[in-house]
Formats: sequence, structure tokens, C-alpha cells
Amino acid sequence: MSFLQALLNGILVGGFYGFMILGFSIIWGVMGIINLAHGEYVMMGAYFAWAMFRQFGIDPLISAVLVFPVMFVVGYVLQWLVINRVVERPHLISLLLSFGISISIANIYKLIYTADYRSVTVSYAGSFQLAGLTFPTVKTIIFFAGLLLMAALHLFLQRTRLGKSIRAAAQNKEAAKIVGIDINRVYAITAGICVGLTAMAGAMIAPIQPIFPFMGPLFTVRAFAITALGGLGRIPGALLGGLLLGIVETLLTIYVPGTGAKVGTAVSFLILVLVLVTRPQGLLKGLRPVEEGA
Amino acid sequence: MSRFTPPSASENPVRRYDIWLWVILVLLAALYPFTQPTTARLLIAIQMFMLITLASNWNLIGGMTGYVDFGHLTFFGIGAYTVGILMTRSGEVIFAPQLSFWQAWPFSGLTAMLFALTLGAATLRLKGPYFSIAMLATLLAMREIVRLFTPLTGGGGGLDLPPELNRIQEYYIALGLMALSVGLMWWIRNSEFGLSLLAIREDEIGAEMRGINTTLHKTTAFALSAFLTGLVGGFWAWQNTYIDPDVVFFEPRNLEMIMAAVLGGLGTVWGPPLGAAVLYWLREFFWNRFLFAHLLGLGLMLIFVVLFLPGGLVGLLQKGRVTSVLDLWRLQPAHEEET
Repeated sequence: MSFLQALLNGILVGGFYGFMILGFSIIWGVMGIINLAHGEYVMMGAYFAWAMFRQFGIDPLISAVLVFPVMFVVGYVLQWLVINRVVERPHLISLLLSFGISISIANIYKLIYTADYRSVTVSYAGSFQLAGLTFPTVKTIIFFAGLLLMAALHLFLQRTRLGKSIRAAAQNKEAAKIVGIDINRVYAITAGICVGLTAMAGAMIAPIQPIFPFMGPLFTVRAFAITALGGLGRIPGALLGGLLLGIVETLLTIYVPGTGAKVGTAVSFLILVLVLVTRPQGLLKGLRPVEEGA
Repeated sequence: MSRFTPPSASENPVRRYDIWLWVILVLLAALYPFTQPTTARLLIAIQMFMLITLASNWNLIGGMTGYVDFGHLTFFGIGAYTVGILMTRSGEVIFAPQLSFWQAWPFSGLTAMLFALTLGAATLRLKGPYFSIAMLATLLAMREIVRLFTPLTGGGGGLDLPPELNRIQEYYIALGLMALSVGLMWWIRNSEFGLSLLAIREDEIGAEMRGINTTLHKTTAFALSAFLTGLVGGFWAWQNTYIDPDVVFFEPRNLEMIMAAVLGGLGTVWGPPLGAAVLYWLREFFWNRFLFAHLLGLGLMLIFVVLFLPGGLVGLLQKGRVTSVLDLWRLQPAHEEET
């Protein structure tokens, strides 16, 4: 496999990662909560796509649209009933809480769907040639779908009233309250949007990813690494971090002998830990550092 | 800095003597094998002692220092594999004679501690959540690395350790390890070292301004916790006589360790042992009938405890009254753990 081809694969995966982790990044940026259940929302979206495909033969890309409203409600209710209660408390509490949520969701899914690996095989699963390079069809589609959705989210946050109130809540909670923003409602809506988008990513990735109840942590750790690299709640940062991680992972899997996909993932975690340690402020300069505290 | 008198000694006479209660409990437990218990019962006791030890060790870094370690099982695994490799493969791999358990065991703690020092030099510089996720990633990575290095670790096939099953001897080792770990926690909690750790948890920058060498304290706590956890891991490998990546880096064990500490009361001496005992009892006598939902139960319990019992069981006992469910639901943070 040529280097260019490997790079292309990395970019396609990485662009998608950038979209997949947005929900995590925004929740962290707006509420200061590290949502360890992020990967589980990816998993829920993937299972949704799998179930729709098996029952009704619905294409995962259509499921990705259908799953958004469903998971919006899940995210909204969970935030309203549970997580809003710990937003004000130390990091330690919200970390443990979301860890509990993550374990619970994964195991509910294990009870419903068993721990077997599932997969979705779509008719367009092959690849096409362009300019001497091989483009895997599914990965190319989700790459562009991811970019499109990122742009849409960016416009939503910048242009709409609701988007502005979300940014206001992220910038200064007290001031946002003073100008009449119902902070609990804004948090719940933010969580709904983030969870919905994350599940969309999960549905889109269903054709190229084995689906099982415990796939979540791998995505959570990636989301964390990318957010730490690219900065909180920043869409360009998420894209950049995602590309970086995607490329490193792909190149490692190809060029380091003896590492399967899983080990390549493990090694890239270690590299990311190293980056985190040497540049805790992230790769981009001038980012808002994470608030102190634990 | 010895002008700090631990508040326990002067203000709370109970706490000065509570260690004697522990000594009595341990002595009573030491008499248990004389009642000719069945092997199964001994094994249950051994498992419970190990969970108590793990919870207490986790509490040292997660509860007292406030660095929530989601990957503490890494050190357990390193300990287990140290003993496993030294007892079975040292001849082929490191050209040393194969060691007996007693020769190999100290190394399990030492390697875990060395690893913690190396890792801690990097990860402990990370604040709160960064540390937690870095440790989670370490655990995930370690499981795959162990699987990969087949010549050393046996890969997915695992290692068979020479069995030397003497449950009574194992019982005393587990008891000793537990007595040591919890006793050490008590000593730390009542020492200036422990107060410094609590200060780091509450306000790390403030602690540093007050002249506490936070890096030194954090690293010491982390290394000590890893050392003891590594010892438990090494002991576990020996008494289990078989290790592979899945049984050593066993997800529920990681969760139970954390859960026990949170349930009992973070940062307290007696909380984690109490939490571990309650949790173990629940598992043996209740969840074993619903084994398929064991992890689900733990996850839901974690949510419940975090929302409604932030001070843990010890916090509940100390308040002297049981808060009504309604109070809990409204959840004004009137909890304030014992600090």
C-alpha cells in the first residue's frame, strides 16, 4: 500500500472522528462535564442502524437521520433528570456519575442484544478508483456527511438564537442567567443535540465497524484524546485532532508489523497520552484551558 | 510544618482509638481457620479480603488525593504477570532460575511501583479528568500489549502457574495484606502526609502555595497505592494458578474496586473496607443469582450512590440520621464528606 493511499485512509477516518467526537467536545466545553458515556451513545446509534437494517432493510444513512430525534429525547431527559444535578459539583462527582451511566447503558444493551458481534453489510460496501487511489465508498460518504454536519452545527451555533444562548452559557453561566437564559433548559437542549449527533455518527459507522455492547470505551478514549488535542467545544479543533488521530492510527496499523487494528489503537492511545503530557494545553495555541479542579 | 496537629488526635477522641477496633477485628479473623471452615468458605473470605485491600488502596489515590484512577487495575495486572512470568518463564526469558512464589512476590509490588513512578511522572502532571482518561487508556492499552507479547506473557493462551494450594496459608496472606493496607491508610489519614493529600484534593494550587510539595506527595501516594495493588495482583495470580489477559484485566474487578471506595465514602479510612464488605456480600448472596446483570447492577448503584449518598455509607452514619428520600432527591449539596 502506497504512502499516499495510507494517508488518504487516515484522512477519511480522521474526518469522521472529528464529527464523531463533537458531542463530547461541546458538552465538555459548555458544562465542564467529561461525559464518559460518549462511546455508549455511538454504540446506541450503531445498534439502531443495525436493528433498522435487519427489521426493515433501512439503509444506515437513513437510520442516521431517523436516530437523531430519538436520541435527542434520550439526551434531553437524561440531562434534565440526572446530570443537571451534578453540573455544579466537583469533577470527581460527574466523572463517577457518567462512568456509572456508561456501564449501565453498555450492560442494558448486552442484556437486550447479547454480547455477539453484529455487522451491517450495505450494497455499496466496495470501493472506487479515482486519480490512482482507492476510495472505500462507505468511508468516503461518511467523511463528507461528517464535514457537512459539522458545518451545519457551526452555522447553528453562530447564527441561531438557541445556538447563541448555548455559547453564552459556555462563556459565562452567571451572566447568561442574568440576561434571562434558562440555564437548565439550555443544558438539556445542548445534551440532546450532542447525544443525537453522536448517535448519528454511530449509525453512519455501522457498515464498517463490528457492533457490540462494549465498543463504547474505545470511542470515549478517542473522543477525549481528540478533544484534548484540538480544544474544547471547537469545531475546527475537533476536525484537526480527528485528522491527526486518524492518520496516526492508520499509519501505525500499516507500517508497524505485527500490530492488528486493535493494537494499533492501543499504541496510538499511548502516543496521545504522551502528547497530552508534553502539551497539556492542546496542540492549538490560545485555547481556553480546562478549568482547574478535580 | 509539624505545627499542624492532626485534628483527629485532639478534637475527636474516637478516631484515636478506632485502630484498636481494627486490630481486634483482624485478630478475630485470624482465629477463623481454627473453626475448621470449608475450603469454599475460606475462599470467599480470601476474595473479600482482596476486594477490601484493593478498595483501600484505590482510596489512597482516588479518594484522598482526588485523582480518580479509572485504570488502577493496570497495577494489579502488572503484579499478576510479574509473579506469573517469574514463576514459570524466567528460565527462558531473563536467564534466572525459576523463582518460588515467596521469591517472586516482592517483585510484583516493585514492578508495579516502578511502573507507577514512570507513568505517574507523566500522568500526575495532568489535572483531574485528564489523569482519569489517561489511566483508562493505559488499562485498555495494557490489556492489548500483554496479549501481543506472547513469548513473555503467553498471549491470549495465558500462563499456568505451579499450583501449591494451601488455602489456610493463602487466608493468612490475604488477611495480612488487608490488615497492612487498611492500617497504613489509618496512619496516613492521621499524619501530615494524609492532610497534605486531602489539601491537594480540595485545592491543589492552594496547597502548593502553602508550601506543600504536591508533586512529591501525589507521586508517593500513587506509588504506594500501586505497590500494594501490585502485591494483591501477584498474590491473586498465585492463588488462581492461571492468568490470561481477560481474567487479569477483568472489567468488573476494576469497577468493584472503585465502587467499593465510593460506596463506603471517599477519602475516609473505614469507608472503603465497609463498602467492599457490603458490596462483596451483595455479590455473593444476591447478584450471584442474577449474574448476567452484575455489571448493570454495579453501574446503576454507582449512579445512585453518586446522586444520593455522596458521602458514602460512612457519611450517612456520621450524619446520625437517615436523610429522607425527598431530601435526597432535592439534593442540596448538604453532604460534605468527612474531610
